[in-house]
Amino acid sequence: MEDKKLQEILEEIWPRLRKKHLYPEIPVPQIKPIQESLAEGEENSEGVGLEIKDKVMTLNPLFIASMEGKMSREEVMEALLDHGITHYTFCPWDFQTHLMIYAEAKKVMGDKETAKRVANYFIDVVADTHCVKHRSTQIPELHRHLKKGPIQEVIQSLYEKIWGVDLGISSSKKESRLQAETVRRLMRIPYLDRSRWPESIRKFARSLKPLIAAEQKEQRGKGGKGDSNPQGDHDLDHYSFEEIDSGLREYARKTMDLAQFREVVEDFSEELKEIGYGAEGGMGRGRSAPIDADILFYMKLAENYSIPLRKLPLEEGGDLHPHSHYPWEVGSPYQDVDIWTSFGKIMPGITQVWKKKEGRGRLKIEGAPDCLIIIDSSGSMINPRKNLSYAVLGAACATNAYLRNDSKVAVYNFSDAPMGGRDILDFTDDREAIYRSLCKYFGGGTALDLDDILPLIRKKTPLDLFIITDMKITNLETLIGFFGQIQNRVTAVHIGENPYATRFEKAFEKRKNISIFKVKRKEDIPHIVLGSIREYFNPVEKRR
Amino acid sequence: MPLGDEIKGRSSEAMKTNHSQKRPPLQTLFKEGLKPQNPFEEFQSFVFKKREIPLDHIVQSSELVMDKIRLGYEKLLEEEAKELVWMVQYNTIIKAYEVAERYIRDIDYTAEDIEDFCFALENTHRIPYLIPGPAGIYISALCNYAKENEIVLKLSELKTEINLIGFRLPKDKRMIIEGDTGDFTGISLEGGELVIEGSAKNWTGAGMRSGKILVKKNVGLHTGEWMMGGEIYVGGRVRGLGNVVEGKIFEREKLIYPGKSRYPNHYY
Repeated sequence: MEDKKLQEILEEIWPRLRKKHLYPEIPVPQIKPIQESLAEGEENSEGVGLEIKDKVMTLNPLFIASMEGKMSREEVMEALLDHGITHYTFCPWDFQTHLMIYAEAKKVMGDKETAKRVANYFIDVVADTHCVKHRSTQIPELHRHLKKGPIQEVIQSLYEKIWGVDLGISSSKKESRLQAETVRRLMRIPYLDRSRWPESIRKFARSLKPLIAAEQKEQRGKGGKGDSNPQGDHDLDHYSFEEIDSGLREYARKTMDLAQFREVVEDFSEELKEIGYGAEGGMGRGRSAPIDADILFYMKLAENYSIPLRKLPLEEGGDLHPHSHYPWEVGSPYQDVDIWTSFGKIMPGITQVWKKKEGRGRLKIEGAPDCLIIIDSSGSMINPRKNLSYAVLGAACATNAYLRNDSKVAVYNFSDAPMGGRDILDFTDDREAIYRSLCKYFGGGTALDLDDILPLIRKKTPLDLFIITDMKITNLETLIGFFGQIQNRVTAVHIGENPYATRFEKAFEKRKNISIFKVKRKEDIPHIVLGSIREYFNPVEKRR
Repeated sequence: MPLGDEIKGRSSEAMKTNHSQKRPPLQTLFKEGLKPQNPFEEFQSFVFKKREIPLDHIVQSSELVMDKIRLGYEKLLEEEAKELVWMVQYNTIIKAYEVAERYIRDIDYTAEDIEDFCFALENTHRIPYLIPGPAGIYISALCNYAKENEIVLKLSELKTEINLIGFRLPKDKRMIIEGDTGDFTGISLEGGELVIEGSAKNWTGAGMRSGKILVKKNVGLHTGEWMMGGEIYVGGRVRGLGNVVEGKIFEREKLIYPGKSRYPNHYY
């Protein structure tokens, strides 16, 4: 009965709230069944008022009941929902921003748990302040009646100062010197300036650090755990798999820092594993082995680059053709976006994606052949597990291009191959296995063993070759001789410039099936065109 | 009849009767009280209320103060480090301090503004150059002229160790630095109390006249060079002593000057 009443209130206030927050795209919130709340052992405490999971906000009826006599149920629900909605519409907005806030907090706090706590406090302060400034809300009233720990007291004292409302903190209790000093520092932070959030969270963390340390010490003494946030904690549950995927991709692109990415992924490894990262057989869903953050870094970073793959006329049919449209969603890849029907915009509701279907007919249909990636991991190359390696990034982009076209990829990762410094992966479409092989680093001398490569080449016709190296190969002449004999399309990418690369370029300047690209900066990667053959582009020349 | 249909009906009728006759302009339709429907009608009732909250004023005023402090520092650099090279000599320090005093005297700032300035120094978008010498002199002047008697600067995250911090710290002032400091920490101290939670580098307390320097960790060479009075307490190790004239230096609570156990700049 009680549930039903709350449900009625929710149905009544939700359209008004949507309008107030300019119609955010969030599903209708839910009321948690009372039995469930009781089963979670919350009957003796106020518990958490709002939980967010997969974008669905769930209100706790016990929490609402605990506010009876202080605020009306409508007001409590509206305040909680205002708070929850603002997380979607302002802070943290998306998973990438959440990661950035956490990473900056971690730089100051040093450890994972306190960094998460500080990031959560910051996100709440920003969201509530935004709501108080821009919307008419009951959030201040809710704060007046919330249960307060020492840190909550400081934050509410901060609210009094920056919102200009009396929350009953300054009148009820005298602040300690440390608390007063902390509030003085906190109130100078420009919370609503999104462009300054990285700097702001560091200052926020710096100011709260002594208080959190003191509280932790006290809790350790008592042997208990800290109070839960009545407005709900901010973890990965808030986000959908697609949002997390896109957030990681953006974070990798923005930081371009392997160590920083690894640290954040390792800190969230439990949660990421929970939603399916690190599962055997690709980044699918399900529980499994620990996440290889380095591989994930290259995977997400490579998704930001799209390098074109020229297709070949193949005998068999079965190529994919654009067939119909379906709406694009946030987090989906951009490769198949139809820019014409999307009016050149990337926006959910407007953007459309081509749905591809397998073609039929007896004509020669264009398709992408399989590819053998030859990657140099000798001592002159960067160790991809220590620093960002353009060689691995380039090879990862090539891998994505071939896998996207339903081709298979084999990897020959070499250093001093005749002495055993090599790793061979047979043709596969297992993205994770390919990346694992690409990320292997031997760090020794540089020599190819053609006996390793030939069986792989003979296995497939047609086959593209993609080689990425700095060309400082001791048996470069053998490689040049070998490439001189084969007719496969070869994309050779050399990292940086040196006399060996010049020698290689000179040797093949007249060969039409070999395209050579130079990568000096990450910006050079999209200029690579896989399998480009001058002959293929210029049929007139071919006929002559 | 719905509004759209009415407009459509009118126009098709006009087309049938007289093709050469012009269609009535939109203004005429409006005059007749026929307005096309607004597809965003629902948003009309929404009134955007932008509320002023004290945070706006606090952020704005602290930005203003920061601009003034930054301007003073830039002026100091213009006058004192034209070639972006600054030699630490007694005269240059005195001169730079006088210039700094001139610019900060009229600024109304708090200890938090000083801390913000220290972090802004590392942000190249906001302040073009961080030259540790003049920056230290300027920060010292800011601290000496601050209204507060106790100043806490949380600088443990700064990547650069600032030199000359605590220069001429006057009596009745207490300055606490969370983090490490560079060379010439607390030189010419004039009775104040300087607490360094981390380590300090060479020439700590050089030329100090009175007051107390407390370094929780280690200090470098020439500690207390030409020190005329006061006390230096070091929680960790003193790498080397300077030519101390007068005063006391303690290493891990043990008096090392005056004492026979250590010689000036005797490294160990």
